[in-house]
Amino acid sequence: MAVIAVLALVVSLTTPPQQAAGLTVEKATAKSNQQDGNEVIGGQPTRVTWEGRVAADEQISMLTLTFPEGTSLAEGASAKATVLDGLVRLEAVQDVQLDIQQAVITFEQPVASGLLLRVEIYNIALPAADGDYSIGGNYRNTTGEVVALTPSPPIAVISMTTVKAITLWLDDQPWVQSWNSVLFLRIFFNPQLIVASVPNLFDGWLHSLGLVLVGFPLAIPIGLGVSFLRMARLRIVRFISSIYVNIIRGTPLFLQIYIAFFGLPFLGISIDSYLLGILVLAMNSSAYLAEIFRAGIQSIHKGQFEASSSLGMNAVQTMFSVIIPQTVRRVIPTATSEFILLYKDTSLLAAVGVMEQMMFAKSMVASTGNMTPYIVAAGYYLLVTLPLTKIIASFERRLAAAEGSSTAPSSSKKRRRRLFAKPASDAPSEGVDADANPS
Amino acid sequence: MPTLREQPQAVVRIEQLHKYFGSLEVLKGVDMEVDRGEVVVILGPSGSGKSTLLRCINLLEKPTSGDIWFEDTRITDPATDINKIREHVGMVFQSFNLFPHLSAKKNVMLAQRKVLKRSKEEAERIAIEQLDKVGLSDRVDYMPAQLSGGQQQRVAIARALAMDPHVMLFDEATSALDPELVRGVLDVMRELARGGMTMIVVTHEMGFANEVADRAVFMDGGVIVEQGRPEDVFGNPTHERTRDFLGHIS
Ligand SMILES: Nc1ncnc2c1ncn2[C@@H]1O[C@H](COP(=O)(O)OP(=O)(O)OP(=O)(O)O)[C@@H](O)[C@H]1O
Ligand SMILES: [Mg+2]
Repeated sequence: MAVIAVLALVVSLTTPPQQAAGLTVEKATAKSNQQDGNEVIGGQPTRVTWEGRVAADEQISMLTLTFPEGTSLAEGASAKATVLDGLVRLEAVQDVQLDIQQAVITFEQPVASGLLLRVEIYNIALPAADGDYSIGGNYRNTTGEVVALTPSPPIAVISMTTVKAITLWLDDQPWVQSWNSVLFLRIFFNPQLIVASVPNLFDGWLHSLGLVLVGFPLAIPIGLGVSFLRMARLRIVRFISSIYVNIIRGTPLFLQIYIAFFGLPFLGISIDSYLLGILVLAMNSSAYLAEIFRAGIQSIHKGQFEASSSLGMNAVQTMFSVIIPQTVRRVIPTATSEFILLYKDTSLLAAVGVMEQMMFAKSMVASTGNMTPYIVAAGYYLLVTLPLTKIIASFERRLAAAEGSSTAPSSSKKRRRRLFAKPASDAPSEGVDADANPS
Repeated sequence: MPTLREQPQAVVRIEQLHKYFGSLEVLKGVDMEVDRGEVVVILGPSGSGKSTLLRCINLLEKPTSGDIWFEDTRITDPATDINKIREHVGMVFQSFNLFPHLSAKKNVMLAQRKVLKRSKEEAERIAIEQLDKVGLSDRVDYMPAQLSGGQQQRVAIARALAMDPHVMLFDEATSALDPELVRGVLDVMRELARGGMTMIVVTHEMGFANEVADRAVFMDGGVIVEQGRPEDVFGNPTHERTRDFLGHIS
């Protein structure tokens, strides 16, 4: 094999390229058989166009085009050959024979040098498996010599998937056609694009979930640590941690993302953008969680601290065995709202090129010129946020029932209002300066 | 009673204790001594400083001046490891303060495990034993929210007793209870007193005080106004303020 390859290389280097040695294959294309795409689906009817120019020193009496293995002919398949002299169509074709392997064109009289041969094959189905396919064949010139054609430029074929099959099926449905005749429905709720977007955006959904599923757990210990600092005995520690919390909560996440993504490169620090996205989200969320945790801890009755102390437990034991376990149940609803907010905020990372749901949707919208992928993306977001919202509500009910009104956190009405907006305050208890305005 | 102060069996000794909250002087020089096995009942009108005095004994409140000894240790010394002292000073609060996320048994086990470093098995055995003593052997796995106030308070007593305290402080242990639940808690306290536990009890239960106390202390305005055997203090108070107070509550 290697020897042959080397020989071929040597030959190709030593023999000068033959100028106009025989017919030049100029073009081979297949028309897209997708509704709103530009790809060619294998196994589906398409139209293949092949063009070749007769060489300067010969005339051609017969042309045979051979199709790639696996080609089939759909109903109504036909081939048409044309001889063109510039823009002028010449009457030269005598006969066109088409089968699944080849198209054979015979000419009434030899086709002269320099003329263009165009063959169009209708309702031909290229192989179903995806790949690049060329059209080969041969021709006979007037000396009776049969010369092989150089393989045509490849035609890229993608394989038929369930989604494409459904899309094609939808194309033919009368109800889809009348549905799509309404501009609003076609632009926002295009059935074919819904079908195409769901699997396509699934990847984006996973990317977004990944960001928040790594970022949020990372934010929890940071937030807990900061909440401890916020309650530290030393004033300076409280002060520094409050600066952290207030700056993060007082500036847009969007701005923080820009500073991180465009600022770090200036310092010569390059971090994978997905990872950096996670870090920025975690840092942002930690400030909100710190306030949620702090308010949760401070909402624990002081009798709990006193009982623990009176039993000889130190501050750390009290915190981890008595206070935090009680705090957890109280902060779960607000922390979950924070999770929802963070999940939605992953979309901001699209602006700096992190692969996530919005990026996937945007690129689909760009390639289809249709809003439907955004609607599907919305569906993916809701897939996470709606069940979580429900869970919060039921958890709050259970909590209220279990602890009674005296120790339950603040009214759920307050929190619900915040659920779909960046929170003004995530504090489960009143009287804590957990407001959005940094001091 | 300065002569008693040097006696070794004193469990708690308080000297010239002053406590301010801001500019408000709540304790104005309290001297008190509680011997081993003694049951002292503290009475007095609201705001007289009874709770504050009790809370100073295990440093839940920091005394402004004066000294408190627990056995041989001067706990008002800043170098004292206060958690070590608190291990041996049991406290029962008016509001129970059970850990709501833990079952009765786990409430009693927690500090045994964390502070005394007892094994799980030992802590559990002692928890069940103590809960049995306060009459709750059938409630060991109940959550606090599933228990009545009286039951919760008895769990709190068991929780303190499991630490093998040298003295028990009760701050109006029955005041938050419905009248029908008071008896059960008082029965437990009475049993405890009979068993020889050193106790300092703030209460308004005169019958209980009369029956159980070795000594009654009447406080008013941040000072001890009068103290002595309960039958003397109750039956024949020497001070006008004591008479007034007793007249009001009985
Ligand atoms: N943490 C505190 N901060 C400020 N003032 C306090 C504090 N705790 C108690 N006080 C005040 O100290 C005084 C004595 O309170 P304390 O609770 O010791 O009284 P008490 O004798 O236990 O009364 P009661 O019978 O109502 O329980 C009261 O005037 C009270 O308002
Ligand atoms: Mg009191």
